[in-house]
Amino acid sequence: MSRIVEAYIGEYASGKSECAINRALELARLRREEVLSRVRKALEYRQALEVRGGKLEVGNLEGIRLANSPRRFHTSNLLSPTSKNRRFRVASGVTLVDLDVVEPFWTLRPLKKEIEAKGITVIAWDREDAEGLGEAGTVLKPAARWALARQGDVILDVGYGVGGARVLEIIEGYPENADLRVFAVINASRPMTATVQDIVDHVHNLGRVDGLVNNTHLGEETDSTVVQEGAKLVTAAARVLNIPVVATAAVDRVAALIGPRDCEGNPVRPLRRFMPRGFW
Amino acid sequence: MGEGPITEEKRMFMTGNETVAWAALAAGAEIMYGYPITPQNEIMHYWTRLAPKHGRLFLQTEDELSAGFTTVGGVLGGRRAFTATAGPGNVLMQEPVSMAEMMRLPIVIVVMQRGGPSTATVIYSQQEVTLTTLGGNGEGFRIVYSPSTNQELFDYTIKAFNTAWRYRFPTFVLADGYQAKLREPLTIYDPAARGIKMVPTEAYTGRPGTPGIDRPPGQYRNTYNTEEELYEVILGLAAEYEKMAAEVAEYQSFGTEDATVVVVAHGVVARAAKDAVEKLRKEGLKVGYFRPVTLRPLPLAELRAVAGSAQKLLIAESAYGQLARLVKEAIYGTKTEIVPLYKPGLGVTSEEIYARAREIVA
Repeated sequence: MSRIVEAYIGEYASGKSECAINRALELARLRREEVLSRVRKALEYRQALEVRGGKLEVGNLEGIRLANSPRRFHTSNLLSPTSKNRRFRVASGVTLVDLDVVEPFWTLRPLKKEIEAKGITVIAWDREDAEGLGEAGTVLKPAARWALARQGDVILDVGYGVGGARVLEIIEGYPENADLRVFAVINASRPMTATVQDIVDHVHNLGRVDGLVNNTHLGEETDSTVVQEGAKLVTAAARVLNIPVVATAAVDRVAALIGPRDCEGNPVRPLRRFMPRGFW
Repeated sequence: MGEGPITEEKRMFMTGNETVAWAALAAGAEIMYGYPITPQNEIMHYWTRLAPKHGRLFLQTEDELSAGFTTVGGVLGGRRAFTATAGPGNVLMQEPVSMAEMMRLPIVIVVMQRGGPSTATVIYSQQEVTLTTLGGNGEGFRIVYSPSTNQELFDYTIKAFNTAWRYRFPTFVLADGYQAKLREPLTIYDPAARGIKMVPTEAYTGRPGTPGIDRPPGQYRNTYNTEEELYEVILGLAAEYEKMAAEVAEYQSFGTEDATVVVVAHGVVARAAKDAVEKLRKEGLKVGYFRPVTLRPLPLAELRAVAGSAQKLLIAESAYGQLARLVKEAIYGTKTEIVPLYKPGLGVTSEEIYARAREIVA
């Protein structure tokens, strides 16, 4: 899997953060599976060497980042990024960036440690960072400004609607970064993006958009009909805009009802809800 | 179905601030005057996005003092006008609100409470209760609704315009920063489609005819020359306010009939209180729930009845006793014990209310 760099933008409260967090987790899982696959191959190689009386060299494990000694791991310990034994944790190589210069201190703050525990590097302000800044703390974290220069996958959660989307312009490496894809998250249950024309107008206001994510929902009241109706509207808008619908996002229980593709043939990404524990 | 901005009743997923803008639009508000302050900014943002599409107006003033006074001006000109603010902005608006009290001007003010005193936090609190109910240099002749859900923000914003124009007292919708940003589904509707008739507006000034001959003169004053004159005016205002109070006051309650402990909370904290009391009652504990929907005027008779029968009132609020102060005055003379759960500037969870109520229930 090649390097993934995605920015999630969209209307205020469209569900960008939920989509971004879940995408980062999905990538972390996929990357971990890649690593595991390589580890298993290396172990098989070691066993083969041992059978032949050969000597294991660290070079055999090239490409596998382990927290500590490569000689003390076992594949079963690598199945969970939250393995109790820290030395067996595998870094996923995925970075999640909270890019909100309007409301920089609260959105992901309560979730930061939980997400980090899942093997993801999170670039977001901590409470300690906000100490003393007050309301004037509308600042971009330096690490966020240089996020595109990081190795591995990078997911940008770009907060605060149309205004917030402009923050991309001050990120180093934007727009020339060849890997970057900018996706607009659309919830057609929101009145500002409830029709095809509204969605088209909204996306035009956002600036660069390379694809749409249908994230149509009604919170706890979401059912498959709501999501599928959204898929029709978002797909129709995407045709007008001549860009793809990269996914339909839906909470796990609804995603399970819909299956791997929505009624328009778009891939379905199951969402685990994190934001109810965020601030907003 | 209607011809207004909302053509059909529909479930929508919105933030609280967005909900207020849509509600004002649905209520036929003609103009918003405003000055930016977090956490109410998106009311202005959404209003300014929506207003041009529906022939409505917006004026950004230089500060909240001007936002309040221009709203007064709009109402004097017969416009269904409103403003929105928070925290220090609410402090500045008390002067125009006092003028509206004195002149009986139906201005509507939406407040999204933030932390205080002073600039404090931009996030959340319930620390503007005293200011909003009794601010200004007068007697607090205003109406204050305290909604707790996005649906109520929609319903009570519409209602605020009608209450204001029906009774001619300034009317607040007092929410908070959490509600401002809260995302949840609600049903938006055209009031007319639900049989809600908007009270017609009328200009205070520039009416046809000769004052004193064709019609009574319009003397809208906030200045009086003598103490005696002012005294008569204030007593008149008080009498009209008290006459209206019972009609306007609203509350919600359950489980209070047999309760030894009643949890009293308003706004977003009332959601936590409701959940906690439901859980406690399922466990067979005699705990009740009382939520004043109007903080000014309070539902006095109902609150006194609850206080008269319960042994303890557990008052939960994100302030240091501002709701409690109102409740204590209302229930003066009863022997109910007040148990505080004050978290100024912090959210109050249902778990906290549950635990405290469980500790004190007999």
